[in-house]
Amino acid sequence: MTTPAQATTRPAGAPTPAGPRRRRVPLGLRMAPYLFVLPNMIIFGLFTIWPAINGFNISLYESSNGRNFDWVGLDNYRRILTDDEFWEVVRNTVVFALAFVLLCLLIATALAVLLQAQGRGKSFFRAVFFLPVLLSPVVVGLVWNWLLERRGGLVNTILTPFGGGDTGWLVESNLAMISVIVVGVWMNVGFYILILLAGLQGIDPSLYEAARMDGAGAWQQLTSLTLPLLQPSLLVVLVLSTIHGFQAFDFIYTLTGGGPVGATTLIVQYIYENGFVSPIRYGLASAGSVLLFVTVFCLTLVNWFIGRRREAV
Amino acid sequence: MSSDVTESGGGPGGSGRRTWTSVGHRRWTHVDALRVVLLSTVTIVVLVPIVWTVLGSFKTRTELAQVPPTFLPDSWALTNYTDALTRFDFLTYVRNSVIVVIGATLLTLVINSMAAYALAKYNFRGRNALFLLTLATIMIPLQVILIPVYQVVASFGMVNTLWGLIIPAAATPTGVFLLRQYMLTIPDELIEAARVDGSGELRTFVQIVLPLCTPALAVVAIFSVIWRWNDFLWPLVVAQSEDVYTLPVALARFNAQEVVPFNLILAMSVVSMIPVIVLFLFFQRQIAQGIANTGIK
Repeated sequence: MTTPAQATTRPAGAPTPAGPRRRRVPLGLRMAPYLFVLPNMIIFGLFTIWPAINGFNISLYESSNGRNFDWVGLDNYRRILTDDEFWEVVRNTVVFALAFVLLCLLIATALAVLLQAQGRGKSFFRAVFFLPVLLSPVVVGLVWNWLLERRGGLVNTILTPFGGGDTGWLVESNLAMISVIVVGVWMNVGFYILILLAGLQGIDPSLYEAARMDGAGAWQQLTSLTLPLLQPSLLVVLVLSTIHGFQAFDFIYTLTGGGPVGATTLIVQYIYENGFVSPIRYGLASAGSVLLFVTVFCLTLVNWFIGRRREAV
Repeated sequence: MSSDVTESGGGPGGSGRRTWTSVGHRRWTHVDALRVVLLSTVTIVVLVPIVWTVLGSFKTRTELAQVPPTFLPDSWALTNYTDALTRFDFLTYVRNSVIVVIGATLLTLVINSMAAYALAKYNFRGRNALFLLTLATIMIPLQVILIPVYQVVASFGMVNTLWGLIIPAAATPTGVFLLRQYMLTIPDELIEAARVDGSGELRTFVQIVLPLCTPALAVVAIFSVIWRWNDFLWPLVVAQSEDVYTLPVALARFNAQEVVPFNLILAMSVVSMIPVIVLFLFFQRQIAQGIANTGIK
């Protein structure tokens, strides 16, 4: 969808049938836009803007029940930064997000390129790849928990002839993290494929014609034509997958519950549990919230910055 | 879109050299075969868990406990589905989910389209600032402001109410963005003409602008439905008592408590999959377009 040049209605130019009285715009017309944006902005302000600002304020208070608050200054930050559990959660989150983003970029690009080249059955494959995106993450988590069961799980059953039938996918810490990453990619990659496919569709086919006449092979076409031209879409995928990676929670909650012994607990689960599951440690939850917010915001800016600069070169 | 004629990119697994005439018949090369094999493998990886779930939802508890597992269920009776209905407040959770989905989607459509109209078709002080603010908050998902949003909702007494599930996330920035972009393409003359005819601002919006925006409204509605139906973290936090549980919350809670037999959980899971998949089958094109335009999810 191309954005046409901004051509807004000028209320000042509106002819006033009721007779020009100092050529003033009728009050109704002047107020209209404000009234139109009002409902959206009220909800937006109350439930997004204000909390985003107030989050910093809240993180300076501690509460053991979520009702009575005591001002503790930066104490919550001191506590969270010396909390071993928090640092493990940070490590888990970074490992997950990094692997998630890289795998999604790699797999989505590969599959999008393959799909684009596919003639017959293209739309079937595309629809199938998108299917997991539609499923409830809660369901995805509990289904994969079942598939990865050590005894009688589908995955181990399939692996039995190959000698891998007794793997404790969700029992052993490293394997559990790998499982979480794989399921996360399984569930989300179709979404990124669609973004990249849209990008690929925007590339002029005659460029490939020209490249081929110049004797460029398939691999060369991919690296020196497709990928550079796909960069804007890749940037979108990078930004979105980073945000999604850092906020992953729901499917993990039913897949591993954050276990074994916290090996797959990520930051959002840490915030949720400290904030809402007893023993409630509100201060840690709200300080964690602020740290996550700032991290995601900065990462997004950095991604855009790097992407923009690359584009300029 | 004649991608079947023009080979674009080629698979990473393709060999470096390739020769065919650029026009006319294309021979079935080993690269084509490799590509189809790869795509089919991924298809299997995607479909097997889903098919396995559907098959499992027909199996009895003892069948599910068998090692190695059986492939097809002994019978295709709907016992699990009817049991889930009678033994739990399954219908309550479905009803809650439906109310939240419909209420939230309608609210989103109304307030997003109104805001989008103002941002697209009026010149007013603060317009650009509002638009930029809206765009910026695409970067602030609910997860990162969970605690402060919950405080606001709690202070309005909306915890454990369906309103608390519906209202907070209704003002989606992506919805406003998508609708605004679409409304920019509506000619100003149309709106001017209505004004000259003495149509009020609200009437012009409802009777002239909105009908023209149907495709964009459909995209926003589809995404809202899918997202709200599957949404989990926010309902988990707000719906603390069983009577306001949505379907995903009920599934997660019951699964964790392990009081509900897994065959019933599977049946409920399949029920939760059906509406979104049906929606997808009908509106595939709109969904693909919506993602391409905004990256919403």
